[in-house]
Formats: sequence, C-alpha cells, structure tokens
Amino acid sequence: MRGKSRFLALTMILLLVMSQLGSALAQDSVTIEWWSVAGNELPQEAQEAIVTAFEAEHPDIQVNLTILPESGYDERMTTTLGAGEGAPDVALFWNANWYAQTLDLTPYLEADPDLSPEDYFENFWINWATWGDKVVGLPLGVGANFVMYNKAVFDEAGVDYPTADWTPEEYIEVAKAVTDTEVRRWGGDRPRGPYRAIWMNYGAFPYSDDSTMVDGYFNSEASIAAYEWLWDLVDSGATPTPADIEILGTEGTGPIDLFLAGRLAMATLNQGHMLIAVDEGVDFGIVPEPGFVDSQRFVNAWSLTASIWSGTENPDEAYEFLSFFAGPEGQRILMEQGTLFPALPAVLDEYENADTDYAQAFFSVLEDTQVAEWTAGHPCWRGAVIRSVQDVWDLINLGEISRDEVTTTINDYIDEAQASLEECTPRLGG
Amino acid sequence: MLSTWRAMNPMARREALEGYTALIPWVIGFLIFTTFPIIMSIYLSFTEWTIIEPPTWIGLANYERMFTRDPLFWQSLKVTLLFVAFSLPLKLVLGLMLALLLNIKVPGMNFFRTVFYLPAVISGVAVALMWMWLLQPDTGVANTLLAAIGIQGPNWFWDRDWALPSVALMSIWKVGGSAIIYLAGLQNIPPHLYEAAKIDGANRWHSFWGITLPLLTPTLFFQLLIELIDSFKVFTEAFVITQGGPLKATYFYLYYFYEEGFRNFNMGYASGLALVLVVIIILITVFLNFTSKRWVYYESD
Repeated sequence: MRGKSRFLALTMILLLVMSQLGSALAQDSVTIEWWSVAGNELPQEAQEAIVTAFEAEHPDIQVNLTILPESGYDERMTTTLGAGEGAPDVALFWNANWYAQTLDLTPYLEADPDLSPEDYFENFWINWATWGDKVVGLPLGVGANFVMYNKAVFDEAGVDYPTADWTPEEYIEVAKAVTDTEVRRWGGDRPRGPYRAIWMNYGAFPYSDDSTMVDGYFNSEASIAAYEWLWDLVDSGATPTPADIEILGTEGTGPIDLFLAGRLAMATLNQGHMLIAVDEGVDFGIVPEPGFVDSQRFVNAWSLTASIWSGTENPDEAYEFLSFFAGPEGQRILMEQGTLFPALPAVLDEYENADTDYAQAFFSVLEDTQVAEWTAGHPCWRGAVIRSVQDVWDLINLGEISRDEVTTTINDYIDEAQASLEECTPRLGG
Repeated sequence: MLSTWRAMNPMARREALEGYTALIPWVIGFLIFTTFPIIMSIYLSFTEWTIIEPPTWIGLANYERMFTRDPLFWQSLKVTLLFVAFSLPLKLVLGLMLALLLNIKVPGMNFFRTVFYLPAVISGVAVALMWMWLLQPDTGVANTLLAAIGIQGPNWFWDRDWALPSVALMSIWKVGGSAIIYLAGLQNIPPHLYEAAKIDGANRWHSFWGITLPLLTPTLFFQLLIELIDSFKVFTEAFVITQGGPLKATYFYLYYFYEEGFRNFNMGYASGLALVLVVIIILITVFLNFTSKRWVYYESD
C-alpha cells in the first residue's frame, strides 16, 4: 500500500515537472504567422525553402506559412486588418491602404548590423518600402516591364533592331515595318492602360500632383498627345486587338505565347517572360518602353512589400524572419527558384547570366524612374478616377472615334473625373 | 403563448422543448451570420468606412450621392435591369423546353439529364474562361461556325452592343439546373389528366396549354423568383471577362459594388448599394407574389 502511494506521488511529481518543462519550452519557441501568395514570381517551393533555411538558423522561431489564393488576397487582408485582430505577424502588404497598419521598421533597421536601406535599389526602396517617413516593409524582389523584340523576325523583315533611345512614333513605325498580315504576324502590342510608362514619358498625368485638379492635366497637351499616339497605333493595324490580347496573353500578364510563336514581333513583357524566352531558346533583345531623348524616362516596375503587422505580439521574431526573407539569403533563394530578381544589387549581380545583353538591358531599366512613384502617392487614380475615364481608352481601342475627336472626347470626361477625384481624395488621401 | 403552454400535456411540452432545443443552433447561426451582418450593413450604409479605419457616421450622404450625382450607380442599375429583362425570359423558356425534352421516355435519358445538368455544377470562373475562348472574334468556335455559313460574327464581349447579349447567352448555358426543377414539377402532374384529355380529343399542344402549363405554374413561379434574384447577382462574368467594359456595357450592379468596396475602399457606400439592391429585389418579389394569385394554380385551389 505504502509502495503504491510512493509510486503515485512520484508519478505526480514527474508529470508536474514534465508539464512545467513543456510549457517552458513552448514559451521559448515562438511561432510567426506568414501570409503570402504563390505564383511564378514567388513560388511556394521557394518560400518553403526560405522558411526551412530560416528555421534551421533560428530553432527558437517557427514560421507558419499560409499560402492564400491571389485572387482573394486583397479582400482577405482588407477584412482581417479592418477587424483589427487575427492578422498575420508578417504578410505581403502590397496595397498602400494597408500601410497604416504596418509596424515602422526604422528602429529595427537602425539596430540591424546586417541589413540597411542602402543595400537595396534606391528607387525600389523609396517606392516599395517607405510611406512618408515610415518604413512600412522590405522589398522582396524586383520586376519590370520592357519591350522584348524577336531578333529572327526582325532579321527576316530586314528591319533594324530598336534602340534604347527610341520614341513612341518610332515604335509605331517599327511595328508597321515588321507586321506581316499574310502570316498573321503583328508588329507590337498595345499598352494595357493609360498613364503607365509611355504616358509618363510624354509628361502626361491624369490630375495635379496635389490631387485637386483634373482639368489641365487629363486634357493637357502631353496627355492628348499620348492618347493620339494610342489612336495612331490602333489605326496602324500593326497591333493585336484587345480580344486577341485577352485570349492569347498568358494569364493577363502579357502576350508571351504570341511572342514565342513569332506572331508578335515586339511585346511589352516582364522579367518572368524573359526567363521563359531564355528557356525556349528564342533569340531576343530588350529595350525600354519608348520615350523621349533628354526627358525623364519612366518604367513600370514593381516589388512585393513584405511587412510586419502593427498588432503583432512578436515584433522582434517577426523582424528576424522578415529580414531573413527579404535579406540576401532569402532573395538568393527567390532568384534561384522564382522569377523575381533580387532587390539587393549585390545579390542581383550573382545572376548566372548577368553579363548577357538582355540581362544588362533589364538591369538598366531598373534604374529608371518608376511609374509607381506617382501612382503609389495617388491612390485615387486606380481606385476611382480611372473608372471615370476608362471610356476614352475603350473608344480609341475599339476604333469608335476619329483622331480629331480624341481631344473633345477627353474633354467630355473632365467633369466626371473631377467628381470622382473629389469624392475619393478626402477618404484615401492623395 | 403562455396559456397554450399551460394547456399542453407533459408529453407535448417535452416534445415542444425538444423541438426548440434542436432549433437553438440554427437560431444562433441565423442571428450571428445573417441578422447581425444585415443590421451592420444597414448601419454601415450611413457611414464612410474604408474598412481599415473605423467608420464615420455621415447620415444620408451615401444615398444622396447615389441618387443625385453618381452616374455609375444609374449605369450599373440600367445594365443589370437590361440583363434581367433579356436573360430571365430566355432562361425560363429554354429551361422549360429542355425539361419537356428530358421528360420524354427514351432509352438513355438519365445520361442526357446528367449531361445537361453538368454546366450547373462547373465553377463560374472556368465557365467564363471557356466562353471567352468560344466567343473570341477571330479564332473562336462561334465565329468560325458563322463564317462557314457566310456570316461575319460580331466581336461579342469586345463590342459595346454585343457584350451584354454575350453575357446573357452565357447565362443560358446553365439552364440545365432549372430544367431539373421543371422536370420534378412535370413528373408531379398526374398522368390520368393527359389520358382524359386524349379521350376528349385534345392534341399535344392543347394538353400543354390546358394541363402542363397551369399545373406547372407553382414551379414556374418558384423558378421566376430564383432566376430573378440570380440574374440581379450577376458578377463573375464581368469580373473575369469584361471588367465592366467595353464602354461600361457590362458594368453590372454587383461589379460596381465590388469595385466600390474592395478597390475604392468605400465600404460604407458599397453597403448602401447592397441595401438598395435588396430593396429592389424585395419590391419585385412582393409584386410578383401579389400577381401570382392570378396566374399560379395550386392543387388546393
């Protein structure tokens, strides 16, 4: 009987010690929630590899990676942040409206001996990591649009390759020269929306920088010139229709399939398409989107901003993970397995084909002024105003107005665009 | 209520208690997931709310903007009403016609019923992408077939006049779902009525007008309400294929609601839009319910 009591008491003590030990261990190990999406730019395997490498270096921090469908990511993040609880410690904060709920990384970077803002491309840092004086996140990689041209098609047509200093008018001339209707080959594609690189190269912006005035901007000489250029391009017959692009373009990111098949001699594509063309053995060249000599040149470039939610209970551990993911180790893995190139120039130089002409042309484009420099600071453009002026774009693309009607058509939409701007700006700022 | 309870014998009371207890989970779910969101939505429609920041009370400002100075509200309402007017009769008639065909007793009919029902269970996005390919102006199946008989097909989704009919055409593809419901209604009609009519010399047309259609009116009424609500909710086609274009020809009401809520971060206004749509659907439903007394025949009538 006595022996049985002793055994019971011993068991109880053992259980007590084990439970205390267990909870102590559990307290030492922190789990970070990481919400992301997966795709060509950011493959799930690459993210898992980064998480594995991070956990090997930081055994006291576990990372719970949740891959969400890209199509519903915005809604999920918006509603979760709106609820004020249940948001992940670290996530892709690619919408500027979410920046208010990010942790300011300034003190962490100041205390970090291994990572600093100077390590990143300056323009990507400004556009994708900062918001006013606040460091809202770290840029995970870089991507950009540029014009890819098929050298074999140009050689066959006896047309000179385009050069980096070409103008929008030259784009149309070159597109016409390499178009061959008999073999159903178009010269070049159309821009996918107004006020991207070519518009800004014209010096055209939809409204004033202080987000108060549409009149004088949307209908400025530069803006009208850009729309007339689009009209000329559509009229040239050297470009596929929106229906062709919609159907034959790959997942809406660009008509890479048409380009690879030689049915599109030039196309505005991105670094992911560039890698596909390399794999397919297509002989191609890269030039920036057309602009004007001696004037500012814009590029449609992007990054993925990864941020820490301001409500996290584990900010230090979250920063450890974020700085690893967006630091040299993480971006190296991303470059090897995904299609986003590193936002850190030192790591970008490690690209295996860095000395090729196409890679150098791509790297050069990354230095240009970014369209995002304007659009990121003017959230009402994408949110509200573009809807009001979309008809002008449609009318030109459908060939429903003459060139002479471009100016009057633009003027017809000034009031509607102004009303949209005035409705939106008090809410989203500008 | 209390007197009814007192009048019950213990067995009946116990049964009633068990019944109400069994209902509790549903009532809780209804209060949390239906009633609360509706009340919140009504409240939010009187606020300005970016979702990220707390809502700010602005009274009737959202409704004032909606009805007096928002061209997109009227455009989206017009497009949606046109779609309802165009697609609803087509869906009702074609669904009924298909059900009549599927009601014929021929070998392998279960196979055909399954085949026609399949579109109803396929994801809306997949269906939208498939129709994009079918109706592609240059290489699509539709225009290739039309060209074979000497007709130049339209630009379908990429033409301001054809975009809305194209979406309506897409919606018809799913009539297999409603045909199955019609089929259930058809099979509930007693066969002796047809036999009696035949003896009286009625042909198939007379039988259809005199027996099938009147006895199918409860099913027709049900389908009318369901399809009406479904037509008002059209969204995926605009979201996947047209993005409301071209020239806002397919700028549907729910697409506008989505853009306002999640792209323009104007959830207060979007809540107002949702509420107006609910009111419109309720009004039409009440009206149809009122008229149903004149044209819907129940067995008990």
